[in-house]
Amino acid sequence: MVIINSATKILKTPKLFVFIIIWMMILVVIGTLAQKDMGLFAVQKKYFSSWYFLIWNIPMPGGRLTMILMLINLSFFFFRKNLWKINKLGIIILHIGGILLFIGGGLTAMFSSEGNVVIDEGSDSNYVEDYHYMELAVINTSDNNFDTFTIFDHPLLKRNKILKHENIEFEIKIINYIENCEPIRRNTPAEVQYRGMMKNFMLNELIPLKEENMNRPGIIFHLSNARPLVDGIYGLFLGQSIPQKISSNDQEYIIVFRKKRTYLPFSIELIDFKKIMYPGTGIAKSYSSDINLIEKGISKRKLISMNEPLRYKGYTFYQSSFIESSNGETTVLAAVKNYGRLFPYISSIIMCVGLLIHLIMKLPGLLNKQKI
Amino acid sequence: MIINKLTYYCLVVTLISCTINDNTRSYQLAKTNKPKTADKKQANISKPTDLIWEKPDPWVPSEGSPMRLASFSVAYSGGLGDLSVIKLAGAGGGLESNVNRWRRQLNLEPISLVEIEKNIIKKEGFLGPYSIKQIINEKMDSAFLCAIIPTGSYTIFVKLSLRPMGIIEVKDDFIAFCSSLNIPN
Repeated sequence: MVIINSATKILKTPKLFVFIIIWMMILVVIGTLAQKDMGLFAVQKKYFSSWYFLIWNIPMPGGRLTMILMLINLSFFFFRKNLWKINKLGIIILHIGGILLFIGGGLTAMFSSEGNVVIDEGSDSNYVEDYHYMELAVINTSDNNFDTFTIFDHPLLKRNKILKHENIEFEIKIINYIENCEPIRRNTPAEVQYRGMMKNFMLNELIPLKEENMNRPGIIFHLSNARPLVDGIYGLFLGQSIPQKISSNDQEYIIVFRKKRTYLPFSIELIDFKKIMYPGTGIAKSYSSDINLIEKGISKRKLISMNEPLRYKGYTFYQSSFIESSNGETTVLAAVKNYGRLFPYISSIIMCVGLLIHLIMKLPGLLNKQKI
Repeated sequence: MIINKLTYYCLVVTLISCTINDNTRSYQLAKTNKPKTADKKQANISKPTDLIWEKPDPWVPSEGSPMRLASFSVAYSGGLGDLSVIKLAGAGGGLESNVNRWRRQLNLEPISLVEIEKNIIKKEGFLGPYSIKQIINEKMDSAFLCAIIPTGSYTIFVKLSLRPMGIIEVKDDFIAFCSSLNIPN
């Protein structure tokens, strides 16, 4: 009880807020310096999205813990005695704005997603591929009308994790998850337990690159409880042109290792991709995608251009890039879903109002002091 | 006072326990209108006037120029490669001139026949022995994977244009395709 009481005391004190602000500045400096060697995404994960991180084996509070401590500290302000008075209105509004900002940040950290939608001219797509996270998809293709997908998300793809689901009869044990790999043809025949691509290839582990999206992740797993000739060690890597097919108890499965997919409640059809180049150069001046947004059979024509994103059902689609090939043009849209998108705007306005009220209330006192 | 304390603890516990642990998902999607396996196999065996081949599954036929016997889009993790099949009478200019022509297309200096032959990969297909050559310009981030398949009266040239990172992914399919090239009975 004594420990809890003293912890509460520490959490309540406004001094903590000052220390947290200083620590956040240090964190930003550490992150900025580390970004040079580690890359943006790795730094974000290690220092800013984490509960803690280690410096010379000493645990330090990560960005997430720091933010939560700050939010708790700010929230304790409302439990102060003699707070609810008219002369403290500005400060109360300011704190509400601050808390809203943290809630928005929390929503963004927990639920936001971002990725790419890649659509060829004349075709459509209804899913977003995550920039960073992978998934292992086990697809039961036995039914003539539909495929049943069982998805194991990135956090489960760790060494020694066992993946099981009621939809699949077999189980998968992750032997290794490789952040960056290269498939290399075997010089000698593989041992009998290796199946699929692993019979002829092995996944050579490479040093992960700073530019995280340049890595080619790979996964090696042991499949068991299927059939004697199917059980064994399999390997998959991102972009593998031929997926792994297996059959178990009259059921046909495809196992794919791919970027995490989020399905949209609508689909986007690319009608035409337009590109305007700077005269006499190969540099694109502007590009835009003329699309059909199809929902429940009803299509709406929309235009997504470089500075005019499409906002629909919480998603924002930006014109990000394009691919040109002999087969036609392909648009690459950046898709972002952020539940906390409006929080920074709202909380900034609230904080400005709070500061203004506080200033107006304190102004007569300040003027009187000056006169004296 | 007790209510205040309870509120503090609830707030702390709620905030610290905020995390998502549901990492397994399951859903069903209607099958797209893919051709049946038998139809697909049939579609993969292309029969132009005087050449047949077996196309690897992931390759998609594309429109090429009139010079080309066939064109395919070859998907790999870094994008789409462009594969062309052309046929030239006789030796079609020979190994040295063709390899140096491809090198020039990649802004590389021509090299001698001896140097070319050092890095040639020899393979055996339905039409007999043939050569595979990979030409890479890292600065341009471009590469060609080429096969020269002599048949006696003419030479078949298969060229796959892609980024260097894709070579390892598509090489096996490329070799399988080149080896499958044949003249119909």
